[in-house]
Amino acid sequence: MKQTLGYLALPLLMAAAFATEVRADGETIAVFTKNQTNPFFQTVRVGADNMAKTLNAKTLQYIPTKPDSIPEQLSQIEDVVVKKPSAIVFTPVDYKAMVPGVEKINDAKIPVVNITDRSAGGKFLSFIGADDYSLGLDTARFLLKTLGGKGNIVIIEGVKGSLTNVDRVRGFNDALKENPGAKLLASQPGNYQRLQALQVMENLMQSNSQIDGVLAANDAMAVGAIEALDGANRKAQVIGINGTKEAIDAIKSGKLLASGDYNGFAQGCLGTMMAIRALREQPVIAEIVLKPTVITKDNYQPFDTPLEQRVCPTFEQASKLGTK
Amino acid sequence: MTDITKEALSPPRSFLSQDAIQLFYRLLAVFLICAVLAVLNDSFLSLGNILNVLRQASLTFFIASGLTLVVLTAGLDLSVGANVALSACVAGTVIHTTGSPVLGILTGLACGGIVGLLNGVMVTALRIPSFIATYGMLWVLNGLTYWYMGGETLHGFPVGFRQIGSGYLFGLPIPVYLLLVFLGIGTMFAQRTIWGQEIYAIGANPVAARLSGIPVTRRLLLVYAVSGTMAGLASIIFLSRLNSAEADIGESLTLPAIAAVLIGGTSLFGGVGTVFGTFIGALILTLVLNGMNLLSVSANWQPLVTGIIVILAVWLDMKTRRRT
Repeated sequence: MKQTLGYLALPLLMAAAFATEVRADGETIAVFTKNQTNPFFQTVRVGADNMAKTLNAKTLQYIPTKPDSIPEQLSQIEDVVVKKPSAIVFTPVDYKAMVPGVEKINDAKIPVVNITDRSAGGKFLSFIGADDYSLGLDTARFLLKTLGGKGNIVIIEGVKGSLTNVDRVRGFNDALKENPGAKLLASQPGNYQRLQALQVMENLMQSNSQIDGVLAANDAMAVGAIEALDGANRKAQVIGINGTKEAIDAIKSGKLLASGDYNGFAQGCLGTMMAIRALREQPVIAEIVLKPTVITKDNYQPFDTPLEQRVCPTFEQASKLGTK
Repeated sequence: MTDITKEALSPPRSFLSQDAIQLFYRLLAVFLICAVLAVLNDSFLSLGNILNVLRQASLTFFIASGLTLVVLTAGLDLSVGANVALSACVAGTVIHTTGSPVLGILTGLACGGIVGLLNGVMVTALRIPSFIATYGMLWVLNGLTYWYMGGETLHGFPVGFRQIGSGYLFGLPIPVYLLLVFLGIGTMFAQRTIWGQEIYAIGANPVAARLSGIPVTRRLLLVYAVSGTMAGLASIIFLSRLNSAEADIGESLTLPAIAAVLIGGTSLFGGVGTVFGTFIGALILTLVLNGMNLLSVSANWQPLVTGIIVILAVWLDMKTRRRT
């Protein structure tokens, strides 16, 4: 919270903060995330801080004040190029639009690791991320398995055209194709917002007397859909994506069937680890695509631990974590 | 002095009938939309769906009703959505920490009202154009809310409190009662009180209003405070309906509220429009989204259709309204 306070009083406070935060004995890693609103990026930031602390380095967090703002992240890149941190851990707010920004970092010869969303261009030491497609596919497969491969299904989509949504919804649809017994009733937009998802679900329930399963492209929408179902005294199996605390609570209480997670904490840890290892001329892993976890009532415990108490994977574990 | 004021304020008869004509066009539009949807989808005209639409329209209406008064004075409040977000987060925290929904509701209303009053102070005492003052306020509120929430989500509120947004009374959703109450109060206030008529006069011609003895500054402060308080009310409905609050809920609320005001026939140039028109505007927006959900219109086309409706409504309004 203290860090974010700095962003309220941009830019003077920030300059002051930099001056005091830089330490002589450790590297400074600038960590770029997409927004302050999605809890996922909070886990990324805590992971990055955690790893930096372990390795006696320091992080600086760069977060657009307006969520996912392309111009704001571009100007933050311009700032960072002037400030010259030892390395950068970078999540583009838009995988295509930020390529010129990445090229600026490359031109400034600052080593950079790409995490979460794969940039469409630029040179990176390494990529640590996950794959939204398999996240959608695995969660939807789990739902359909629970329903016995049949039933009436509804998809609630995120922001149309966003990379995460395109891939997740593609995964949902492919899982549906594997189950000819399942029928897709509607695929409607909730824009990752719970109110919109709630209203979409209320509307869909009017024209569909039987809905067995709901595939929501994020947890907030899944919870919105559950509220709508509860309000109408109806039941359906619902899945979300992101593994937020709210989703874990809903899984525990049996309201949510499952949530897909691609471990933002590990992404933050490993991104920072690779950046620092490169600076210390140790070998790095060029690409780790983390396997998604379908969090259910049988395996939620590790995700229920407070972020501060989680432990970063070691380099040896990292090499086994992902699919290449 | 009082006599002159009264005379200046009593609107000419033709002016009122002009509003009546506009309302007739809007009701016709609602009727046409309903007729088309009823033909295309069997469940559209069901009682359940009608109540569903009214409940969904209520949230937009609460925000838009206060906003209507601001627009009547030729102002704009771009911070309403961000105000809802902050008020919801603050009210939610109060309910969580004290366990008292009543305290939470009062805090939410007060928070919204104070923000509105600050907008009013910027517009009157500092003479900042409302568009810019409230745009600045939008950023301030977002910053505060993001910082305050730190990427977390509040969720899980008492069952009694949840009745406000999700409960029923004699078969009607409780938000629908609130909608009727505030529609009545808003219409009476604007059409039947001296204060209301003064607000029209300020929007029509602020200089003339001041010269005819209307306390313009105080009325403007009132109007912005009311708009803020209505945002506070919306935040309570949101909390109790969605059972949660997060920092980013505001963004998806502001534009529909402004659209409802404009579709409802209130002129951005001030002095012309009604609260009832705004209700119709909110209804049209909700009907269109409801219809698209029922007809499974692709996610790609939904924003486009909404945009066209807004443009069409404002264009028709300008075309049918005689310039005086």
